[in-house]
Amino acid sequence: MIRALGVPLLRQIGLICAIVIAVFLLIRVVPGDVVDVMATEGDMTAAEVAELRAELGLDRPVPEQLALWLTRMAQGDLGMSLRFERPVAQMIEYAIPTTLALAAKSLAIGLLLGVGIASAATIWPRGPAAWLVDFVNLWSIAIPTFCVGLAAILVFAIGLGWMKVLGNGFVPAIVIGIDIAGQIVKPLHEELKEASAAPYVRAAKARGESPARIVLAHLLPNAAPVAIALSGLILAGLIGGTLTMEVLFGLPGLGTLALQAIQGRDYPVIQAAILLFAVAIILVNAATDLLQRLLDPRLRR
Amino acid sequence: MTQDFGRRTFFGGAAALAAAGLLDHVPGTRLGTANAQTARTGTLKIALLGLDTSDPHRHTGSISVQQVYAEALTSIADDGKAIPYLAESWTISPDGKVYTFKIRQGVKFHNGRELTAADVKANAERVRDLRRGWLAAPMQLVSGFAAPDARTFVMEMKEPYGPLLNVLSELWIVAPESPGWAATVQTPIATGPFKFGTWVPNERLLAPAHDAYWQAGLPKVAAVEFNLRDTVDYTLALRAGDLHIARATADQIPVLKADPNIELQFMKDTSWIFWSFNNRKPRAPFDNVKVREAIAYAMDKPALLKVWSGDTGVATNQMAAPGNFYWDEALHKADKHAKPDRAKALAMLKAEGVDPSRTPLRIVSWQNDYSQACAQTMRELGFQVEHLALDDIGAQRRLGQYDWDLAPFGSGPRADIFLRFVRLLSDGPNTGLWGSPQDAAFDDLVKKAVAAVDLGQRRALYLQAWRHAMDNYWTVVIGHSAEAIANRRDVSGWTPGFTWGSARVDGGAGYASLIRGS
Repeated sequence: MIRALGVPLLRQIGLICAIVIAVFLLIRVVPGDVVDVMATEGDMTAAEVAELRAELGLDRPVPEQLALWLTRMAQGDLGMSLRFERPVAQMIEYAIPTTLALAAKSLAIGLLLGVGIASAATIWPRGPAAWLVDFVNLWSIAIPTFCVGLAAILVFAIGLGWMKVLGNGFVPAIVIGIDIAGQIVKPLHEELKEASAAPYVRAAKARGESPARIVLAHLLPNAAPVAIALSGLILAGLIGGTLTMEVLFGLPGLGTLALQAIQGRDYPVIQAAILLFAVAIILVNAATDLLQRLLDPRLRR
Repeated sequence: MTQDFGRRTFFGGAAALAAAGLLDHVPGTRLGTANAQTARTGTLKIALLGLDTSDPHRHTGSISVQQVYAEALTSIADDGKAIPYLAESWTISPDGKVYTFKIRQGVKFHNGRELTAADVKANAERVRDLRRGWLAAPMQLVSGFAAPDARTFVMEMKEPYGPLLNVLSELWIVAPESPGWAATVQTPIATGPFKFGTWVPNERLLAPAHDAYWQAGLPKVAAVEFNLRDTVDYTLALRAGDLHIARATADQIPVLKADPNIELQFMKDTSWIFWSFNNRKPRAPFDNVKVREAIAYAMDKPALLKVWSGDTGVATNQMAAPGNFYWDEALHKADKHAKPDRAKALAMLKAEGVDPSRTPLRIVSWQNDYSQACAQTMRELGFQVEHLALDDIGAQRRLGQYDWDLAPFGSGPRADIFLRFVRLLSDGPNTGLWGSPQDAAFDDLVKKAVAAVDLGQRRALYLQAWRHAMDNYWTVVIGHSAEAIANRRDVSGWTPGFTWGSARVDGGAGYASLIRGS
């Protein structure tokens, strides 16, 4: 088991390193650096620009900058923001709770809706839930979260005055949650339908168990590995969704931080944020793998 | 020459008017018992520009936020002139080299200590030694500072420097005991109507009211909160009631105008819109002034201006807008390019032996509709257009490479006309947008204008320099437009100023109040 997990884990760590180095190099290919930002805004002469670039170490060869950054990283030092002269760790620490809270709420809503609709559609195959499976699925495929968020602002915040825009953490979670639900509801429903024909379900029916109990007590636990296998979809929805919703609703999370750092060419902040995203994806993948092995004995063989 | 707003004279005449309550908006007349004011209520929520640093002396374009906590010796009035602020008056020696400022009495820092001339001197010295920001150039011309007594600050220049009073409106006075003074000020202790408060970069600055503010009755709200997020569409938040004041782009104006809860106001100085040729390393045939002139004939100013600013712009051919002291009506009326003349453009190109269809033309610009329209104009002339539409920073870097031919851009308000002319000087700052002409004659005219003590003579020299720039077709001006700032109608007393600054001696955030219930 340890060997089975260890090898992929090593592979994932290698992947993190590759991503981080690629980001380090790619962001330097993008024209302009933080000194250009300051020069644009502050009317600096060519001499002042050169002086500041040297002061920040941006005039050194890229491999030297990379080596320096990796050395600091190995010591757990994420560096200082070039633009704000603040520790990057402090900025990341401030942004994480917002993103985590939004992701957790979105995930809870998404799972609740997705599992709930799929279960209801299995229990009552001719009821409105069966129609909802297709509706929510089509919704998530056809309508980008950005459009849904914008429409929510125009209708509920500006039109009806029911909610605020800036810092609103609830509506974005619903928007992302519906998107996640739409992505998992269809495969989950198919899995539940297929499992309904299994001998243990027929046995449960023979025992006179209610359809609801059959779904909740027998089908869902057996469909759990499928739901976990969908975590890739969920994670993609979460990362994309939180980024757009943070920007649209002015939430000070990791997505906003990364985007503003890219706009301002704040290299240490961009690198740290991407590193964090990469680590999060690797960790979720590893956890998914582990859970699947625990829940499905066939994978342990 | 003297320019003395003597305190006794000023307040002598002001007393009767003050009694009648007519001086609420006259700078400095609110000085009195600082705490004698009505209860402050509400938090004014503003979104204009960002804040890059907590150190006012290191500011690099963070020119809209720090005015609420830090003040300067002078303030810019709506007509662009410097008026008394922390300096209640000043005199200038006849040779234009010695500026003597009388520091306002009774001004308290946020820590309760009274402002003295020694504080002003310490700030001026720090800015000079930092050698960064917009004040770097004039500070190089300073031969000495002095604070002979607690209320007198003297600034001696090596040569006369006309824009000094205006650029001093951005020399922020901070108490030297502010944490970080030796390196980067972390928590500026200053004299503004609001205190620095809590700053979260890229997110917000919460600035609570300064209870001992020197202008009695101000500020009128309990706090001001700046939204510093670069990425959010502020006008949505404004319409939803999350913000009270926000900047608006030209394309947002029609929607805001239709909203009964929103009032639109405009900044007093304008942005100027232009296209520039690469003057540092011009490629053939654009090194030929006749070719540049021909291209200018193809330019449809009214149409391009409409693309840039909707219906809010005014076409002209100068870096100063109509109505400005430095704008010249005769020059405006003589504009050869007020209307497009494509036939003439093509004929001139032919006369110069230029076949546009065989001539590559590289345009560097921001990603906006205006630059697309300019590129299309060039395509219609027949040029082989390569259009590099980049983000702000990418464009900045590319401009500095001088491997392009045409650059359509715009530039925002400045505290003094010199801060526009300086961009065309051979050793000027951030010259890429204007193609960096290296021209000794132009430099000389601008330097003479700066050194001119007489205002009329200064204006004449600036105009002469601008005519020289126009004759060489370095930069062709399309026109001007004022930045729109929208506020909800439940905000009272707020008016935008000459530049982006959110507070000034005679207006801004300190004067704004919220109608109860908002």
